[in-house]
Amino acid sequence: MLRYILNRVLGMIIVLAIVVTVVFVIVRLAPGDPAALMLGPDAMPEDVVELRARLGLDQPIIAQFLRFVGQIASGDFGESIFFDLPVLEVIGQRAEPTIFLTLFSILIATSIAVPIGIVSAYYRGGLFDQGSISGAMLAASIPSFWMGLILQQYLATDAGWFPVSGYGGPDASFADRMGHLVLPSIVLGVVNSALIIRFTRASMLDVLSDDYVRTARSKGMSERRVVLRHAFKNALIPVVTVIGLTFALLISGAVVTERVFNLPGIGSLVVGAVLRRDYPVIQGTLLVVAGLYVVINFLIDMVYLAIDPRVRY
Amino acid sequence: MLRLKTVLVATCALGALLPGAATLAQTQGGVVDVAIIGEPPTLDPMMSTADVVSIVTQHFFETLYTFDENWRVVPLLAADMPTVSDDGLTYTIALRDGITFHDGSTMDAGDVVASLNRWQEVATRGRGLADQIASVEAPDDSTVVITLTESYAPLLSLLAFSNSAAAIMPEEVLGGDEVSDIVGTGPYRLEEHRPDQYIQVVRFDDYVSRDEPSSAGSGHRAQYLDEIRFIPVPDSSTRVEGIVAGQYHYADGLPTESFERLGDSEGVEPILLAPFGWPVFAFNLKDGLNTDQTVRQAVQAALAPEDMLLAAFGDENFFVVDAAMFPESYVWHNEEGADLYNQADPERAAALLQEAGYDGTPLRILTSHQYEFHFRMAEVAKIYLEAAGFNVDLDVVDWATLTERRDNPELWDIFITHSPFLPEPALTSMYSSTSRVGWIDEEKDAIFDEFVSETDPDRRVELFADLQRLVYEQVPFYKVGGFNALMAQSSDLHGITPTPWPYFWNAYLDQ
Repeated sequence: MLRYILNRVLGMIIVLAIVVTVVFVIVRLAPGDPAALMLGPDAMPEDVVELRARLGLDQPIIAQFLRFVGQIASGDFGESIFFDLPVLEVIGQRAEPTIFLTLFSILIATSIAVPIGIVSAYYRGGLFDQGSISGAMLAASIPSFWMGLILQQYLATDAGWFPVSGYGGPDASFADRMGHLVLPSIVLGVVNSALIIRFTRASMLDVLSDDYVRTARSKGMSERRVVLRHAFKNALIPVVTVIGLTFALLISGAVVTERVFNLPGIGSLVVGAVLRRDYPVIQGTLLVVAGLYVVINFLIDMVYLAIDPRVRY
Repeated sequence: MLRLKTVLVATCALGALLPGAATLAQTQGGVVDVAIIGEPPTLDPMMSTADVVSIVTQHFFETLYTFDENWRVVPLLAADMPTVSDDGLTYTIALRDGITFHDGSTMDAGDVVASLNRWQEVATRGRGLADQIASVEAPDDSTVVITLTESYAPLLSLLAFSNSAAAIMPEEVLGGDEVSDIVGTGPYRLEEHRPDQYIQVVRFDDYVSRDEPSSAGSGHRAQYLDEIRFIPVPDSSTRVEGIVAGQYHYADGLPTESFERLGDSEGVEPILLAPFGWPVFAFNLKDGLNTDQTVRQAVQAALAPEDMLLAAFGDENFFVVDAAMFPESYVWHNEEGADLYNQADPERAAALLQEAGYDGTPLRILTSHQYEFHFRMAEVAKIYLEAAGFNVDLDVVDWATLTERRDNPELWDIFITHSPFLPEPALTSMYSSTSRVGWIDEEKDAIFDEFVSETDPDRRVELFADLQRLVYEQVPFYKVGGFNALMAQSSDLHGITPTPWPYFWNAYLDQ
């Protein structure tokens, strides 16, 4: 067990080292110049050259890479070119909306998807099953930006029930800020519920035909107990996997939804940084997100241990 | 049905809407949320020519001079207009007394000298002027003397412009390339900046306003509002929804398609700023096809600006087919060379191409979706150019890539950009021989040199007409036309003067 954990930690470090290298190379290969963007449309070419030198962007790529690796090794993710703030501080400012948006979205998605998936599998081929499959396909097919705009127009602009966009001003309370997350959470919850419905249904169908379920029924157990205690518990592993991966996906930034609702989260940070060619922010954010990804994957494996006694490492 | 509550404003009529004229019912207090098109790349106004930087920073930084409603230079931190020596080389500027910075220190000539010196070192517009400035000195605490190497008429316009601004800051914050603190003398001071979330500015209680009546951004600056929050909202649909829902009091840079929706919405007033600016095809005179003037003339002959503008802006309310480099409301307006505009004549273009010995080399048009109207104009231009016999490559890239590629003359023949109408022609870099366009010509250089050194206003107008004629004859760039900008404000917000760089001193809310 301990050996397994150590191997996984070593693997995580290797993955992160690869991510650091790939991210550094990719952002440098992309054309575009943060100095030109900062100086604005009327900047003269010689102004751009001088600012590039001041930002250290005229140094050879290898020198920039070694400096970057040295910084990362000492826990310093560098400073944002545009915000003039340490990268970790910039990421920290964006963490709250992204974390809560992710939690709410997952909560909404699982609340919708798991019961539907279970009932759908139980009544396989029935009207409810057909309807839920069609509903899941529809939810998966709706572009999140479109759903966001529709909710924005009807529930925010017309009805005035929710804020249209943003994350509240300087005096916004915690409750105010959470209020700004309701509509984007609904969008992401509905869109992501589709996959979880399909996984829950498929997994339940597998276990409902297993011998132990038949045995449980033959012992005279109630259907409710058979389905929820015996079948569902054993169907959980793939469901937990897909929920975990959805969580990881959302924590790395729901780019489109954050943009439509103007949420200052991780997704909009990365998109803005790419458009502005803010190299330290792109590198730092992707590294943090990659770190979260591997940690979440690791935790999913640990959850397997807890929910399935057959799983041993 | 669109209600007639649109505030349609021509620049020449700004005076009617000026805060100084509307002296009734201003109320003190309130917080205004302003949706801007994105996060400013910096809050140091010297460092960037981006308009969004000017819009925000003009609230906390001030310059020695500014512009009135007729784009005349008038004093702001300077006590009066400068005393200029007979040879036009020495500008003696008296400073206002009792001006306090946001950090509590008092502005003196040492701060102004340090600020202007840094401006020459780091600001695009200041660096362009550095060769003409021999020295900036402070003979006493309340006087600054600028000595030029040669007469330079646009000096005061450059000192007045809020874009790449010669902002006055305390000497203590100007230690290096970066300013250590955002400290100015403006009517509002920076309270908090959360990137991509808000820039919060609050009333500066020790602000000393000028006494003259307000005239555009000049004169008296009233501080009715307690606080202004600039909220970066990059998505234009979200800005529209936000202003319609009442979440913002003002929204900048709205899509023209939303005009009717804004007009039909309760509590919202669309603002059409006409004229706002001009889209332009900048030619590469340093390298490639367009080093041949006949090829450039062929492009000019082929293009159909009316179709390009219609594709770009969708409705005649939002553009004007106009050859003049400045609208009629500007002193610089003239019709020289206008007969060469709006030709849409593929036969003539083909003949010019034949004369140039065009061999089919693709004409590379560098553009981006960052400004959708750029791309739409490029698509229409491509059709007309191909009809004339050009092979055209549209190089559509993101804005960051475009700003890098346009600095390499080997990578493009035309790039598309736009500009608001600026107060003074010399502020447009494309006339300069050192711009990325690279317009170097003996006749042009002689006219331009005289234009920037001439101090007689009437003679300068004549010289600019000559310059405009040369633009159409030599085609260093192609002004596609004029376009209007759409903004919107909530009905409870008053005292706003429509301008490409909206400001919120003098603005107030209903009680």
